[in-house]
Amino acid sequence: MSTLGTAIDSLTAAMKCNILPNQEYLLQGSVLDQYVEVLLHRLRGLCDNVDSGPETFNDHELCYSLRINSANAPCILPLRVRRALDVTDAPFQLRYVGQPELGDKNRPTVVRSSIDMACSSTILEFLNELGCRLDFEYISRGYMFRKGRMKVTVSKIFKMNGMSNKPSEGVEAISQSYLVELSVQAPLGQDAIAEDMRIFAEQLRPLVQLEKIDYKRLGNMMS
Amino acid sequence: MQQREEKQLESSLESIIQRVNDLKASLSSMIMKIETEYETLNWPKFLDNYALVSGQLISLSKVLSHDKCTNLRNLTVLPLMLSPERDEQLVQMTEGRITTFSYDLVPDYLRTKLEPLAEQKMMQLELKAQNLQYDNAQKQIAAYQKVVSHVWDIVNKAREEWEVEASSRGSTQQNSSVADTHLLVAAVGMGKNLKMGGNPNGQPNPTSGGMMVAPQGRPGGPPGQGPIPPSTQAMSMNKAPSAIKTNIKSAAQMHPYGR
Repeated sequence: MSTLGTAIDSLTAAMKCNILPNQEYLLQGSVLDQYVEVLLHRLRGLCDNVDSGPETFNDHELCYSLRINSANAPCILPLRVRRALDVTDAPFQLRYVGQPELGDKNRPTVVRSSIDMACSSTILEFLNELGCRLDFEYISRGYMFRKGRMKVTVSKIFKMNGMSNKPSEGVEAISQSYLVELSVQAPLGQDAIAEDMRIFAEQLRPLVQLEKIDYKRLGNMMS
Repeated sequence: MQQREEKQLESSLESIIQRVNDLKASLSSMIMKIETEYETLNWPKFLDNYALVSGQLISLSKVLSHDKCTNLRNLTVLPLMLSPERDEQLVQMTEGRITTFSYDLVPDYLRTKLEPLAEQKMMQLELKAQNLQYDNAQKQIAAYQKVVSHVWDIVNKAREEWEVEASSRGSTQQNSSVADTHLLVAAVGMGKNLKMGGNPNGQPNPTSGGMMVAPQGRPGGPPGQGPIPPSTQAMSMNKAPSAIKTNIKSAAQMHPYGR
């Protein structure tokens, strides 16, 4: 118990010192399948990992939600687990992302709180025991680039046809486009990075329109 | 009469000096830019500077050719005294460029005619031009004009092609689709169109639509309140599929917990 205590202590201390990268600055867009090569080519030119080429990934993401039934305000806690299908010894990733905040017009990116941690494969069992429910899952395959602190992912999203035990079989792409995301994880209050992201996103136009996506409006629009 | 002329000279000199000073300032700022900002300097900025300098040159030549301006060619500058000593006032006036008003410098600085060598060359050229036959000159002009107009045509054609290409690229080529962006973002963010696959028991999810978008759904704090136990047993990967299986089984059993 004492070890747990110190772990929480050091976590609290880290949060107080504001060194935890708990904010995610995010811009999203998409590119049609036939132009993805052009985009990858441009990203290869713009980003840091030129020599090694783009990093590929093939991940399975499971999105859980935990309902907390407190008396006055029932709330839903979304939790995401991501695991690499191509690198079998990589740890699982547990992730919490909060509500995206759009801010006003002067803010170049969406900001949402975000906490990442590495964990073992028992996390799935643990979440089930905790009462979390699996909401949806998908496969994300694509390329990752880096530019300073910025991360760019170009990924194809696949729907799983109910075969959770064999995640790479029977999958089906959900659209004719690749999802493009530009994100930075940073501690609270480092808003300057958002401006860098805006400038970077500007360089990808008109190939990709990286934008602040309003989730609330999107929810109304799609339903 | 003489007094009026002197006044005129003074005023025209003043305006010339002002123009020359402007020119000098913009030239030096341009040089400064080239020397210090050569890494960030771009063509548009450089051309802006250039346009400024050429505009100032034009206004200077306008002042010089103005009727009211005394013809400087008709005036003489007469050095009254030369001295090999350092002249502080001169240093100050010329911003440190000339330190002495001495024999070897004065002929260069007070020169009103071209250098003898250049003058000789000019004379030669003028002589050659004078001796040229009219027909020959016309022929040369025609040939020259032909070359220039040819180059002009090439440049124009290239520009046209470029503009057509640019406009067609701007209007017709669509590289991304807003609908697809929304589809993908809604799928990844809110599970839109993915939920059926994720719900093996086919039970409709009553809150699926507003799961992530419901404004009251904002969690009160970071998920740290449920202490995540540091995983004690390092799972080897061959156990991972079993973990997923557990997940399906328990997804079916989950409702007793959920409600």
